[in-house]
Amino acid sequence: MKNLYRGGGLRLPAFSWRLQLGLILLGLLIVVPLIMVLLRSVMPDGRLDALAPLKVMSDPGLFTIFWNSIALGGWVVLGSTLLALPMAFLSARTTIGRHAWLDVVLIIPFMTPPYIGSMGWILFMQRRGFSEQILPMTSHITPYFFSLFGMVAIMSLHLFPFLYLILRNSLMRIGGSLEEAGSVHGGNFFYLLRRVIVPLLLGSYVMGALLVFVKTIAEFGTPATFGRQIGYYVLTSEIHRFTSSWPIDFGKATSLASILLGACLLFWYVQTIISRRYQYKTLGGKGMRLRIAPLKGWRAIAGWGYVLLLLLFSIGVPYFSIIATSLQKLRGDGLAWGNVTLAHYAELLSPGSKGWQALSNSLGLAALAATAAVLIGTFLVLQMGNFKKISQRSLDLFSLLPNTVPGIVIVVGLILFWNAPWMPVKIYNTYTMVVLTYVVFFLPYSVQYIKASASQIDGNLLQAGKVFGAKPFYLFRRIMLPLLIPGVLAGWMMTFTISARELVASLMVLPPSMQVSATYIFSQFEQGEVSLGMAMAVVSVGMTTLVLVVMNQLGADRK
Amino acid sequence: MKAVKNSSFKKWLSWQGTLAMVVLMSGMLAACGGNGGQANSNSTGAAAGATQETTTSQPSEQPVSEKPAPPSGKVVVYTAGPEGLATKIREGFEAKYGITVEQFDGTTGKVLGRLEAEKGNPVADVVVLASWPSAMAMKAEGWTQGYPEAANADKLQEGWLDADSHLFGYSASALGITYNTKLVSEPPTDWSDLTDPKWKGVVNIPDPSLSGSALDFISGYLNDKGDGGWDFFQELKANGVAMSGANKEALDPVITGAKSVVMSGVDYMAYSAKAKGEPVDIVYPASGTVINPRAAMIMKTSPNLDNARLFIDYLLSDEAQSLVTGAYLLPGRADIKADNRVNTDEIKLLNYDWNWMSEQGEEISAKFLEMFK
Repeated sequence: MKNLYRGGGLRLPAFSWRLQLGLILLGLLIVVPLIMVLLRSVMPDGRLDALAPLKVMSDPGLFTIFWNSIALGGWVVLGSTLLALPMAFLSARTTIGRHAWLDVVLIIPFMTPPYIGSMGWILFMQRRGFSEQILPMTSHITPYFFSLFGMVAIMSLHLFPFLYLILRNSLMRIGGSLEEAGSVHGGNFFYLLRRVIVPLLLGSYVMGALLVFVKTIAEFGTPATFGRQIGYYVLTSEIHRFTSSWPIDFGKATSLASILLGACLLFWYVQTIISRRYQYKTLGGKGMRLRIAPLKGWRAIAGWGYVLLLLLFSIGVPYFSIIATSLQKLRGDGLAWGNVTLAHYAELLSPGSKGWQALSNSLGLAALAATAAVLIGTFLVLQMGNFKKISQRSLDLFSLLPNTVPGIVIVVGLILFWNAPWMPVKIYNTYTMVVLTYVVFFLPYSVQYIKASASQIDGNLLQAGKVFGAKPFYLFRRIMLPLLIPGVLAGWMMTFTISARELVASLMVLPPSMQVSATYIFSQFEQGEVSLGMAMAVVSVGMTTLVLVVMNQLGADRK
Repeated sequence: MKAVKNSSFKKWLSWQGTLAMVVLMSGMLAACGGNGGQANSNSTGAAAGATQETTTSQPSEQPVSEKPAPPSGKVVVYTAGPEGLATKIREGFEAKYGITVEQFDGTTGKVLGRLEAEKGNPVADVVVLASWPSAMAMKAEGWTQGYPEAANADKLQEGWLDADSHLFGYSASALGITYNTKLVSEPPTDWSDLTDPKWKGVVNIPDPSLSGSALDFISGYLNDKGDGGWDFFQELKANGVAMSGANKEALDPVITGAKSVVMSGVDYMAYSAKAKGEPVDIVYPASGTVINPRAAMIMKTSPNLDNARLFIDYLLSDEAQSLVTGAYLLPGRADIKADNRVNTDEIKLLNYDWNWMSEQGEEISAKFLEMFK
């Protein structure tokens, strides 16, 4: 990927102090907090003990938790592959792919915060849940759902869109000509599959699969709701427990966090090696022609049947539960027309209520975080220049680091760093801390979008400007900035939508008297009215999805 | 190269549309995101709400108190309480004294966790826990300070105030057996009934690491029965009793009918669900149960000490006590009776000693978690 950017000539005069500023900024925001986690885990009681994290692992209980995380990751990769692969084939190689709305709809499961989705599944599948109320005979099956299988199913249904998009795109890039060449030389279908399609897909599949794996072991929402109910504890849920619930054990939490961090970095490393080995040039100068199979008869039925089933399970079931619950007057009375009320929405949306405050806090914080993130992102991208120097490349690497590191590890690091007794800047327990955490979490999105815009600016434009005697600032203001704006806006929107529904950071760093929509929903599940929480879920997911759909329509996120 | 230029042209076209979106969005933000904007300008410490609400202070309603009430300021309260009650108390206090309450609502476990995490830079003034032994443990570790002059403290139930006035049991809940009236026609009458195969797989118990009251029941029961008590919990585990989060998380499946019974759940949640019309009811076991006073205490490090004292006074005032009974909790003061629930003197208690429970709490919690996880 990087090769692409190297050509783009952003040749502003190199002010090395600005580069240094960028490095210092990223160091303070991202690198130092992570180092604090590692340090704390190897120095549990003030003395250096490099083996401390491993000692924690020798506790059989904690080793089980580690193993649970890894096993869960493996199963979810398998699950989401089984879901995504047929869908990718249908979309890339059959007439089903002509329906562009499918792509938008298929992103919905991924945009649904996992804690809400799994709560929906719980309410649907539990004894006397919605499934039993609609189809009483399912009562024989539903108890089996509350097992590792159910957890894998929920997480796979949440994460498969990732894999689907990656697989579909690379299937589309394998032009029909390659397959035809294979056929001409006498290969049958399975031979083609084995020798042409699978090797070409493998590189991007491995990338997608590892992304899913890392996302799974870094995921907090599903383990915190569904996992707790079936007694399946993983690293993230235990880190949260050790840091936020009595008896507190920061030593154990940081050890588990270091292990999680190590596992993620290891898997990313493996991924880069594998995808480098299986990289083929499929984008040639020749025109591309796709072989699209028309669907007729039973094939059409099977194809569309699959699509509909997938949508039913990934969107239908959870959203049915969420919406039904949000409309229930009495939860004990189940599904009945007489039991429908809009009172929860009325309470939520009456200005001044707790829910209303949480919602406006969410929007306000997300807007601040998004603005700060794009400002920092733009600054950083400008300093990355042509990626020739090591310092420029490390700027790139560090700014993308939060995408690789599980959110909960970053939060633990940020708390350790900003709440340290020697820290002169007291921002812990204030709004600034929340905004800072969101910015660190989502900086990679801004950087990526802005970088994409920047890479398309031709260096000639700047040279032309210079020829006409423009000063550097004028060049920036009149040439660079206008051309960067699409990327800046896309980054702003992305950061805004995901900050508005962020759970784990919000749970851990919000100041005492403040709630955002995600923590509001979570605390309604724990302490208050589930119906009210679900009403909030509908409102906040509805709002963020709307933003994304509009964004998609405008083509701002089309690559 | 051609492709790149083409897409950049598309982007160029699309960004105008995107800009329109942003203008629209920012309009929306201005309309409903007022809080966030304020937060920014006020990011150095105090909550945004503080500036708004302190201006409405009403000096005319000053209480009878030795100390002149400070004209403004804030008090930071960490409370493990029913959220509705905590909010009402906050609003009542703010209206009466014009002091802003910054409040963290959590469970006992989360409040303790937060205090521990902030040990380096403590900010809390008043802490309210749902577990008396946990509060005693905090006092023993020197986290708290006394307030012997608290108004109305002499009217508290016997034993709901410790000897040197650190802990104020301003309200309490009793632990009972809550059941779904649609599913259960013959409710269990005692704890031991729940080991009967009849109740296999349909009983919930709150997680003692999150629910202080559940921990109190477990340790109180063990205190009463001796070490043989663990056999009872082993039998419960064998009978499929599920440990499920904090009190509300344990009760919710019973309301929807996913489970039939929650044991050692706090009674006020059952009463308020019942009052709402949900199909639940509660029984107090024949052999006795635990009543756990919810302890309010002032932190030793309290940055706003005067306000913290006012807050304790307020908790013990008639006004706050009526809010307590309104939330179906047992009032802390012996001279006030609840008319919407069973009162303190009508509930049979197990034979337990708070000191023993406070010492053993952590160990019991760990052992229980290991057994039920």
